[in-house]
This record gives sequence, C-alpha cells and structure tokens, in this order.
Amino acid sequence: MKGLANVVAVELKLIVRDPMSAFFALVFPAIMLWVKLRGGNKPLRGGTPLIDATVPMLTVFVIGLATLVVLPATLAHYRERRVLKRLRATPASRAMLFGAQWAAHMLLAVLGSALLIVIGLVAFGLTAPANVVGVLVAWLLGALSLGSIGLLLGALVPTGRAATVIGLAVFFPMVFLSGAMIPRETMSGSMRAIGDLLPMAPAVQAVRDGWAGGAPSPLTLGVMVAISIVAGGLALRTFRW
Amino acid sequence: MTAIIEINELSKSYKAGKAVDGVTLTVRRGEIFGIAGPNGAGKTTLVECASGLRRPDGGTLRVLGLDPYDDRRALLQRIGAQLQEAALPDAIKVGEALRMYASFYDKPADWRAVMDEWGLADRRRARFGNLSGGWKQRLFIALALVGNPEVVFLDELTTGLDPAARRTTWGLIREMRGRGVTVVLVTHFMDEAETLCDRLAIVDRGRVVAEGSPRELIAEVGADSLENAYFALTEREMA
Repeated sequence: MKGLANVVAVELKLIVRDPMSAFFALVFPAIMLWVKLRGGNKPLRGGTPLIDATVPMLTVFVIGLATLVVLPATLAHYRERRVLKRLRATPASRAMLFGAQWAAHMLLAVLGSALLIVIGLVAFGLTAPANVVGVLVAWLLGALSLGSIGLLLGALVPTGRAATVIGLAVFFPMVFLSGAMIPRETMSGSMRAIGDLLPMAPAVQAVRDGWAGGAPSPLTLGVMVAISIVAGGLALRTFRW
Repeated sequence: MTAIIEINELSKSYKAGKAVDGVTLTVRRGEIFGIAGPNGAGKTTLVECASGLRRPDGGTLRVLGLDPYDDRRALLQRIGAQLQEAALPDAIKVGEALRMYASFYDKPADWRAVMDEWGLADRRRARFGNLSGGWKQRLFIALALVGNPEVVFLDELTTGLDPAARRTTWGLIREMRGRGVTVVLVTHFMDEAETLCDRLAIVDRGRVVAEGSPRELIAEVGADSLENAYFALTEREMA
C-alpha cells in the first residue's frame, strides 16, 4: 500500500509538471465556467440557478478530461517511449500500474473540481451540495467508470499523439451530448436520448441529483459500476506493455 | 563456480524467422558474461527470454533455478534488467525514480544508499530528460540494482555514449561484479567485451559460434585481438 501511494504521488507530480495536462484539467474547465456564467446566473427551466447546474456538470467535464484525454495519452506515451518496457522488467504488475494511473488522474480531477467549486463559491454564489455523500459517491463512481474507459484506450493505443486525438474525439461528443457542457434542461429531446446512451450521462445525472439534494438512483450508480467492471476487465486483458 | 543461468537448446521464432536457433550456454555466479554478435543475431531475444519477457518455443532455460516465463513473478524479484532503448518519463527526478523502483520489490536495497554509491546524490533533483547520456546510464545501472538482484541483464548499455562515458560505465559494471552481482552484458563492441567480460558467447544467426574467455576465443582462431577473432568467427568483413 505504501508502495502504491508512492507511485501515485510520483505519477501525479509527473502529470502536473506537464503544462498541457495541467492546462486541460485545471485551466480549461475554469475558462468553461467563466464562459457559461458570462451572461449572468439565470435560472434554468425547472428553476435551478445556472451556477448550481454548471459546477456539478463541469466536475464531470474535468473527470472526462483527466481520464479520457490525459490518462490514455500518459499510458500511450509511456508505451511509445518504452517506459512500460522498463517497468515490465520489474515486479510491478499491470494491476498496480492501472491502479496508480487511475488514482493519479482521479486526483488531478479532484484538483480541477475543487478549483471549480472554489471559483463557483467565491465569484458566482454557488449553493453548497445538499447531499454531500451522494455527490461524493456519484463523482467517485463517475471517475471509476470513465477512468476504466480511459485505461482501456490507454491499453490499446500505440502512441501518445494518437491517444490524444482519440481521447479528444471520444471526449468532446460525450461531454456535449451527456449534459456535461450544456445543461440537460436546454437540450432537445433527441440529443438527450442519444446522450443517455453514453457512459458519461449517468455520472452527470448522479452528481447533479446529489447536488440538488436528491438521492442518486441505484440504477444510475449500478450502470457506472457495471461500466467500470467491463471496461476495466477488458483493459487488463488487452493491455500491451 | 556454480551455474546461475543454464540455457539448453533454446529456440525462439518470430514471423520473420528464427531469432534464436538452438542456443546452449551457461553463466556462472559472480562473472561478467558477454553476449556479442552482429545486429539481428538474436542477442536481445536471448536476454528477453532469460528475463521472462518472452516465452521460448523450444529448449530449456533456468535462471536462478527458475523457469523465467512460468515463474516470472518470483524471478523478477531477484533480477535487474536494463533492456534496449527502455527509458523513463522525462519529467521524473532521479530520486523519485529510485524510490519508486525500490517500492516494486519485496526486499529492495536502501534506495538512498544506492543513489549515494553510484554518485547520483548530487543529481537527485535532476529530471531524467535533462541528464546526459552517461548520467542516464548511471541511473539505469542504479535502477537495475535497487531491487537487490542476484543477476543483472544489461542490453547495449553503452551504445551511443562518448568514449569517456563508456569507460566510466565499464568501471561501474566492474564494481557491480565486485559486489557479487552476476552481470549478463549484451554488446557489439569487441573492445568492451575484451576488457570487461570474464567469459562471453559470440552469437550469429541465432546460434552460439564460440564461447569462452576473451583469451580463449582469441587463441581458438589464432587472432591478435578479440575484434579480429570475432570477424573470423562470424565470417563477416568490415564494410
């Protein structure tokens, strides 16, 4: 355990030292928040103040950036540069490698989310989450399920550049359609129907439910657990050093 | 001296053909054993089989009494390896890399002591990407040793180094042997093999064409240097 914590700490430092990933996970979502709230904190259809929808949404946006864009690029870059080849000649297992990569990128998303919440509280009068435990569980399961998909991408893609392209190609339609960038209330019915099929939708829904004070539905949480198990299992099986 | 690696009629093929074709050789505990030969001779495949990274097609292979592929988990705890072109992330610092690699092993060496012994303490906070070739190799050697291994595999460790850095690296490899570690060194520099290796095997087209001490190999073909013996044994001329 102590060994794993050490690896996670080193990996997190490596991510933060890369200006590109720091920008993606920390600066870009903060810019998004500013863009969204530029026109004022108007209530959405249904009465939720815009900021109380936007911050929960964007915390999932951050999870998406950290796990679908940065994480696969990290793993693929390690493959390309033969960092994985060196690791393979040590007792480090692929499960340890996955655990450390997931945890480090999850912590990156924690930093990005915390930044959004602080900006929301200080600058836009964000309401604190009504069901804190619900939000935490939903956010963590979101990070786990999207993280598993990111690990699967990172397990397969040969180069860092290809992983960034593929990661962004997965990320943008997903945040757009799943209500992580545009509130679900303002999306058309058909867009919502497509979005509901994407693995990011349950995360957005569960985090927003918790923030508004509702209990996340067991079905939504169950879907995220199922995605984690299937994608994570596939990633472990298909991984190439 | 007891055998630490025993390879018997080992073979391994890829789609392109046979990489290793019936290799038999023995490495003894505490020696620097060289594997030399032209590019594509099968040296790297041999080392990758011995360090558990590839499963051989035929023959038997024992490292520290273990089957490298089937008992990989146990073996990897007891060997160190610097494989060809393997690297670290550019942003990792020397101290971080040593500490992290030490954490992979059940009974590692004290990483701080390893860092001091190999002269890396002053560069503890230097990033891997900013190290010169010689310092990278020094770090690779330290990483190969941080798990407290009994055998270390070094594949083309000195390729791309300037002559001074190569000479320094040779000193480090001798120092490893001085601490009782068995070293398997893949190289295609004959001067390196001649000065460093207690014994070596010359491999060509997947087969061992000669095995013995540098002196024995030179005497075997009546050459005046290991380099000339090598060319006589591999029947290749310099272009």
